Amino acid sequence: MANFRRFRPDDLNKLSKCNLDPLTETYELSFYLQYYAKWPSLFQVAEDENGNIIGYIMGKLESSPDVYKFSEHYLPWHAHITAVTVAPEARRLGIGKLLTEQLEAAGDAGNAWFVDLFVRKTNYKAIKFYESMGYSIFRVVKEYYGDHSTDPTQDSEDAYDMRKPLKRDVKKEHIRADGEKHEIDPTDVW
Amino acid sequence: MAYNRYRYGPPALKSSVDVQLQSAFSDGNWSAVIRLAAKRFATFKDPYYEAIRVSTEAQLQGTAEKCAVLVHVDELVRSKKTPDINTLDLYEWACQDFIGYEIDFAETFGPLRARWVKANASSPMASSCLQGCLEQWDLVSAQQIAATLDKTYANTTDRRYMFWNITLTFLLSCTEASRKVYSLLTVRQLQKAADITENSEKLEKTDRGLLTEEEVCLYYRVLLSHGTKEEFLARLRSPKLGAISQLKQGHKLLFCECLDALETWGEWDTIYELCRDALKLGLDGSTTPFFVCDLRIWKRFIAAATEATNADAALDEVQEVLKQFIELKDKATPMYKKNISLALLETTFRLPSTTINPDHEDTAMSPKVVQIGLFLDQYYERFAAFDDVKGYVAELGYEEAKTFLEDVLPKIPGENPTKAQQIIIKALECRLRYTLTTCPQTLSPHPTVVEGTDQGKPFHCRVCSKLAKSPCEGCLRKLIIDAADAHRQITSDKELLAAIPRLDRDPRLDLALVMGNSLLKLSGLRPGLPNFGQSLWQDVQPDILLQAVLLLDTQLKVTPKDNGLRLLLVKLYLLFGCASYAHQLWAPLDVKRTIQDALSPLFFDRISSISPGLFQGTRPLMEPLRAYYTQSLRDPSPVRIWDAFSSGSYTSILDMAEYDKKLRTSCTLVMTLVEERRATRLFGGKLDADIDDHILATDIVEDTTLVHKTDYGSFPSLESANGPPIQEFIRLGPGPSNERSHLAFLAEQYLDLLTYTPPKDYKPSKAAEAAARDKAYALETLTRINTSLTDLLHKPSTPKLLTPAETNYYTALSLLSALVLTAISLPKSETSIPKIVSQTTQPLKTTLTTLRTGLLSPKSTVPATTQQAIYSLCDMPSFASVRDVAFAVKLSAAFVLSHHEKETARDKSGKSGLHKEVVAEMKALESAAAKTLGEAKGHVGVLKGVMNESGWLDKLLDVVLGEEDREVGELTEKVSEIVEGRGGAEEWAGKVVDGWREGVKGWGMVKFE
Repeated sequence: MANFRRFRPDDLNKLSKCNLDPLTETYELSFYLQYYAKWPSLFQVAEDENGNIIGYIMGKLESSPDVYKFSEHYLPWHAHITAVTVAPEARRLGIGKLLTEQLEAAGDAGNAWFVDLFVRKTNYKAIKFYESMGYSIFRVVKEYYGDHSTDPTQDSEDAYDMRKPLKRDVKKEHIRADGEKHEIDPTDVW
Repeated sequence: MAYNRYRYGPPALKSSVDVQLQSAFSDGNWSAVIRLAAKRFATFKDPYYEAIRVSTEAQLQGTAEKCAVLVHVDELVRSKKTPDINTLDLYEWACQDFIGYEIDFAETFGPLRARWVKANASSPMASSCLQGCLEQWDLVSAQQIAATLDKTYANTTDRRYMFWNITLTFLLSCTEASRKVYSLLTVRQLQKAADITENSEKLEKTDRGLLTEEEVCLYYRVLLSHGTKEEFLARLRSPKLGAISQLKQGHKLLFCECLDALETWGEWDTIYELCRDALKLGLDGSTTPFFVCDLRIWKRFIAAATEATNADAALDEVQEVLKQFIELKDKATPMYKKNISLALLETTFRLPSTTINPDHEDTAMSPKVVQIGLFLDQYYERFAAFDDVKGYVAELGYEEAKTFLEDVLPKIPGENPTKAQQIIIKALECRLRYTLTTCPQTLSPHPTVVEGTDQGKPFHCRVCSKLAKSPCEGCLRKLIIDAADAHRQITSDKELLAAIPRLDRDPRLDLALVMGNSLLKLSGLRPGLPNFGQSLWQDVQPDILLQAVLLLDTQLKVTPKDNGLRLLLVKLYLLFGCASYAHQLWAPLDVKRTIQDALSPLFFDRISSISPGLFQGTRPLMEPLRAYYTQSLRDPSPVRIWDAFSSGSYTSILDMAEYDKKLRTSCTLVMTLVEERRATRLFGGKLDADIDDHILATDIVEDTTLVHKTDYGSFPSLESANGPPIQEFIRLGPGPSNERSHLAFLAEQYLDLLTYTPPKDYKPSKAAEAAARDKAYALETLTRINTSLTDLLHKPSTPKLLTPAETNYYTALSLLSALVLTAISLPKSETSIPKIVSQTTQPLKTTLTTLRTGLLSPKSTVPATTQQAIYSLCDMPSFASVRDVAFAVKLSAAFVLSHHEKETARDKSGKSGLHKEVVAEMKALESAAAKTLGEAKGHVGVLKGVMNESGWLDKLLDVVLGEEDREVGELTEKVSEIVEGRGGAEEWAGKVVDGWREGVKGWGMVKFE
């Protein structure tokens, strides 16, 4: 039922199956188009037979600004998953995994060291999903989110910065086993 | 629309400027800057200081100071000299409010920047000049700059200059001007580049060939647009730039795009070969196994095989390739496993019957039935199982479908199914039975006239063996009863209820949708209702339609996250005038930002006619939509276009330009402007400006094709492809269209002309000249509007795109604009008035009379029954059109009579007024309109009174579920069981009644004088 291809702007008129789901954020047009303009191969969609978008992934290739080159928090050339979503009706078919793999392939094609992403510390399902795909926690960004997904009494939530090494990182230099012990401040994320 | 490059501040001054002037400039201390710059200019004679002074003066309030810079820009353009880039930056900053209005960038700064780049091609500032031109969407200057840069940086490692030039030349070739020259140029440049690639052993970055996926795809896009089919096909098979070769490099985009093109041309042999070769790449290890294993590719492969020159051999090969993928299935992810299973199903359905049934046995247990069964064996519990097989089941012959439903489907969960599995199968069966009611094979034609009497049932239903309409009412009734029993079974079984959270989909939702859809059909609802002059419910049985709504609303409480159900209910509540409740259901969907363009029409289309009261809330109802368009269309260029240029994303550039064009000409955008204005007019409010002057209407002109992109993708779809989708049954008239949007826009233009009042301080010294100019303007505008309205209304496609009430309104406007045009252009001295006057006034008077008698009079008295009251409450869009027509007549008459009075007062000779018969006709029309408006106001008063009566809750429940203690039909009984009787339905009834009350309250605030 699904077809995978690169995003095109007309898909924005077919997002209802994904974006009416409360767990999927809808952004301004410039946000989507920025990704399509700069990293078109990292913006992939899954569509059903009627052209409705039932899943998509948006990502980018970048490094930290040069000014931080000597900082311990400097991020070398890498792919980043900004958003990945699958419509409720299309879940449990591995579409999220396939989309993520496509982004990883684009990251490899772009000679990136690793793919990274941020996930809420309490989003156990997503964490498990990424771990099953070879991602591991690289660091904990304290109070990264301005709200808490499960506890309304809290006004912030930590994020896990998870990583998966790509082909370029032959020696696996960009991951670590004890990522959960490395806590950083949100201001150290660029 | 003006673009403001200096939105975040003025440009930096040259570093050679002294600190004192620099700080005054950065502090915005304009008077100091002007004084100091003048001083420096006197001292150094450097014209840059003069430019600082002139640009800074433009920041002052005085018109003369503000505009002085325009003269300097004009001088620069005329001088033909190379301008100073810093001066240009200053002038562009100073002119920011004029660009797009007094100044056309493409005729001033664009050519100036192109001139500067030509003289300074290797400067790093050259790219920023290109960026500046692109941000103003001045493609001519941008292309000139890109051509200069390409020439300067030819054969360097930065390949972007070459492709900027080509892309911009291509974009220019897609505009009207010089299309041929530019298209030839683009094709030749890219052909040359393609040949270099094909002929080089290894292409270096410095070579002017095609290297990246984006470059290759740009080439094919250009070929598709400006090249020949033969060139395209030949290149598609080439060893380096061919689609298969690109796939081997991991580039799928070209393959997907070329299949679309080939299908348009009907090049089935090529599609067949490409799909086969592409799929085989996965088998032989040239790509990852499932790289192109999309269902769309399979479907195209199979379709192409059936169309191929040697179809038998091709189909054999399809099966061979498929077999190899089936062997690999265990290694595939669930998604690809499913795609392969669906491909198998598709193959079975597309193979000739001689192949799948060589002995021509008349068996209902056909390979198609078996294959659907095998597919469902694996997937019947999955969310999408119904959508996956619906189309195939709809294709089965009657006997096959019967066998499938009776013998195959029940056995799918195995010999000892759990209760949950049984209920899933039951829900699937109900949905498929519903789908089959929309398929022609379940009905056979039957003579409808028996003994000279039309029986109204032209079919014999093969399922229930009774005479039937389409769909068969007997089958729908049976379906409702069966679905209701299954629903009841779930709700009364704790074990089943406990199992639901573990299921992919709540079967109660599916059963409720079957019941709801069946009830909607049984109620008599069909696409195209309501007819003008009739209440919707004169064609529809209100009790059954309301039962459907009640049942679906009850289900929404159980499954509130189901957006399809929610959208269905939003449309249904709008349909029967319960807009405030529809709005409550709409709000949680959180339709915001980018998705508004495609989704907002689902709620907002025609909203001012349904419930103007919604516009009286604390927050302007359509503000998020307006804000979205204002933000996204702020600049003349497509959003983020420079990002695509700087990243070398050439196909993104083309797609973004296309998307931007569509967004600027979106039917939803027109709807946003029109609905807000209509609401403002209804409440007698003042509009800020004419619709023509609205910043978002810049790209909407007479011959613009307005684009509608409403997204119905989330609607539950139980219908087969043989009939219209459910949204067409429950929509209040046809969806948005180019024609309707233009008519609505023209209507606003007409009303703007009629209601224009000059500013109070406008007192022209030469009154006669000013009056002549005003008259000429009015005549010109009226001629244009009348011609456009008439042309649009006479298009054969238009009637189907409007409700009858809308046709009536726009026809009235067409007549009125012709009448006003004649009235004010007819010389007073004319002995007889032309026929056109009577030809327009007569139908207008008739229209007003028809509207009054047809819509208002019978309802201006208190309705005798609840059903009659409900008819009126639901008929507000028709009522709105009465008010619209009458108001337009009133305004038109007032416009003409006011013109007459002004002319008579200005020209005492008595020669300038209007013809007395015209004046008399207009007064008669004015009076007829006033009478209609008076009655319309009275109608609202009556409705208000009706809604203030007590006992509405019970009255409504009596209509929907039957009066208490009275025997009701089986269907009503079943619905009643599901909604837990009157007690369970009371809350719903309260919401509906409140919705109607709110609606009437809103109409009570509308001005009728």
